[in-house]
Amino acid sequence: MSDVTHGISRRSVLKGAAVGGLGLAAGGSLLAGCGSKGSGPLAYGARSVDAGPTAQNEALIAAYTAKTKNEVKYNATESNAFQNNLSQYLQGTPDDTFEWMAGYRMQFFAEQGLLADLTDVWGTIGDQYAESYKIASTGLDGKQYFVPKSWYPWGMHFRKSMFKDLGLSADTVTNWDEFLKMLDGMKKKGLVGFAAGDKGGWEAMGTFDIINARVNGYQFHVDLMAGREKWTDAKVLDVFKHWEMLVPYMNPNVLDLEWDGAMQLLLQKKAGAMLMGSWFGGNFKEQSQADYDDLSIIPFPEINPEHARDTVDAPIDGWCVAANGTNNAGGADFLAFAGDMEGVQATLDAKDKDGKSIPMTSANKGQDRSTYDAFQKEQMAVMDEAKYITQFLDRDTRPDFAGPVVGPAIQSWFKNPKDVNKIVDSLQAQWDALPPLA
Amino acid sequence: MNSTAVDSKKAHRRRAFSAADRTTLTAFVGIPLFFHLLLVWVPAFLTIVLSFTYWSGISISRIKFAGFANYKNIFFDTPAFWEAIQNNVVWLLWFAGIATPLGILLAYQIDRQIRGHKFYETAYYLPVVLSLAVTGIIWNFLLRPDGFVNGLMGRDIDNAFSFFGNYDINLYVILTIASWRHIGYIMLLYLAGLKSVDMALREAASLDGATEWQTFKKVVFPAMKPVNIIVIVITIIESLRAFDIVYIIYGTSAGFPILGTLIFQNIAGEGASMKGAAYAVILFVLSIGPIIAYLRTTFKSDVQ
Repeated sequence: MSDVTHGISRRSVLKGAAVGGLGLAAGGSLLAGCGSKGSGPLAYGARSVDAGPTAQNEALIAAYTAKTKNEVKYNATESNAFQNNLSQYLQGTPDDTFEWMAGYRMQFFAEQGLLADLTDVWGTIGDQYAESYKIASTGLDGKQYFVPKSWYPWGMHFRKSMFKDLGLSADTVTNWDEFLKMLDGMKKKGLVGFAAGDKGGWEAMGTFDIINARVNGYQFHVDLMAGREKWTDAKVLDVFKHWEMLVPYMNPNVLDLEWDGAMQLLLQKKAGAMLMGSWFGGNFKEQSQADYDDLSIIPFPEINPEHARDTVDAPIDGWCVAANGTNNAGGADFLAFAGDMEGVQATLDAKDKDGKSIPMTSANKGQDRSTYDAFQKEQMAVMDEAKYITQFLDRDTRPDFAGPVVGPAIQSWFKNPKDVNKIVDSLQAQWDALPPLA
Repeated sequence: MNSTAVDSKKAHRRRAFSAADRTTLTAFVGIPLFFHLLLVWVPAFLTIVLSFTYWSGISISRIKFAGFANYKNIFFDTPAFWEAIQNNVVWLLWFAGIATPLGILLAYQIDRQIRGHKFYETAYYLPVVLSLAVTGIIWNFLLRPDGFVNGLMGRDIDNAFSFFGNYDINLYVILTIASWRHIGYIMLLYLAGLKSVDMALREAASLDGATEWQTFKKVVFPAMKPVNIIVIVITIIESLRAFDIVYIIYGTSAGFPILGTLIFQNIAGEGASMKGAAYAVILFVLSIGPIIAYLRTTFKSDVQ
């Protein structure tokens, strides 16, 4: 089969659609080796069922099909379920290309041989991306396994209108003392200062990341994530000490709310500020344009002058090609399109059901930054101030540590912050008990 | 094999079955047995084996022998395990001490045809029709911060009463939800049992001047022995295997650790490790131990 399909034009393969797809399974690697002219129908696995991302994906796929006549089957799964099933999914009969995240989470699966090598794709689209994105897309073996779609920074979000009412501005909350003063002012007005939710077990990891980076610096954070530093270090206790100072300004039901509950606090003007990834801007926009225009982001305040505000969590979302998919070459071909400015533009042009554009900060250099709206320009400013970029705790450390160990540990810290010594002891003990990486 | 007595006995027994009998027996016993072994005991055995290994669930060639490391990790380094044990034990005590007796009491009252018994019967049985997952979804809608009950109390999410996030009460909130269903289940089982108790027994007891309580304790309850065994076993199993409600409300995070969610958390997803298999084995031993012990003593006394 592969001999027949190999070497003939993309369109003639499409005529024998189903057969061609099967044939490429065997011929996939062969085709990838000769310039990745992938073709045939392929399947796309989406990691979201929300309206915004779905509209973006549909626009991208429509543009790809219009250009190449390759049909794309769209499979969407709710993101938590997608994540929980990923190992089984990748070892079974996965979609050819699927949405995933950069960093350790990608490298982990690449190392197990479950992701297809996309070095050739990077050969075509690589010059459209800054070096940092290429690094984030590279596996431990130096090959690329990921094509980035978009990024968003984690920072302090607030509403401009509320800031104005409180007599605050971005320049007045640059360091820890000013920050605590701001929270105190909000509390006196009967507001929640620091909206937080951690029912999902991952939300508060962002708070740990940023306080650790501010107090102890980027290098310590990275080393801690990699197990080169110890959780029992006084520096980690210092992180929790600073975090504890924020607790009085948080909503009391942190463990009752997931991230969207915390977002509701900000949306309903019940909270003054929230640390979160800027992706939720889309939810504000869905609510109303006025709410979106009111949204603003500044970097988390400086704590230790030595490290200033030099680090930011800025996760990159994108796509991989599943090695066990039936059409690796087709998946790679799709990603060469999706990562190219042409595909990026199609995604940016996507409209939601009300005909509104969907905010996205693309990883591609080609996105015209003058088209950024005010909120996106602020996100860019947060990024520009940072010298070091981290992905997020559950993307920067081992998956068998982040979810099952760190998540519950932070939840038990919220239950009783006084237990902090016990908690860091147990974190270190559980790190030490992890099996060696194969 | 070298004993002729045994041989002749076996031969004798074998002769009792015709060829058709044997085919039927093989089909009726063999096929279910095959699937039972394949789908229950083979995975159970493999889980036990896997619990002594390090493996991420990806490509079997990467598996490594771990000895007791997973168990050591669970018993000595994982505080969530002990929280889970505590929650499961309280769950069991609650079910055994409150929910199950309430179900029996209801069944008894309905069996006596108290006024409105038809209504009670339907009302209490209704939740049993729903799967535990649906039960979880319903109660989550009711009790979450932006849910119905908080709305009724006029509370917004910033000052919502915390049903699931307050660790002084959430165990009891969850247990109440679980009981809502468990009581009806037990009631139905017991009601079926009560219907089969011979009326003559009760009449005889009341003629002898026994009070209501004496009749139940000395006559009805002992006559219901088979149902009692089922009720006890179900109570133990339901408490230990609890998962659905907690998973629906708390997800995979260990916001409310019980053994069921710990297994899932460690075996599903990117962070899969054979610690999850070890949790499963612990749960297996905990569930099967008391049940075997109980059934053995029961059947032993039956034989005597």
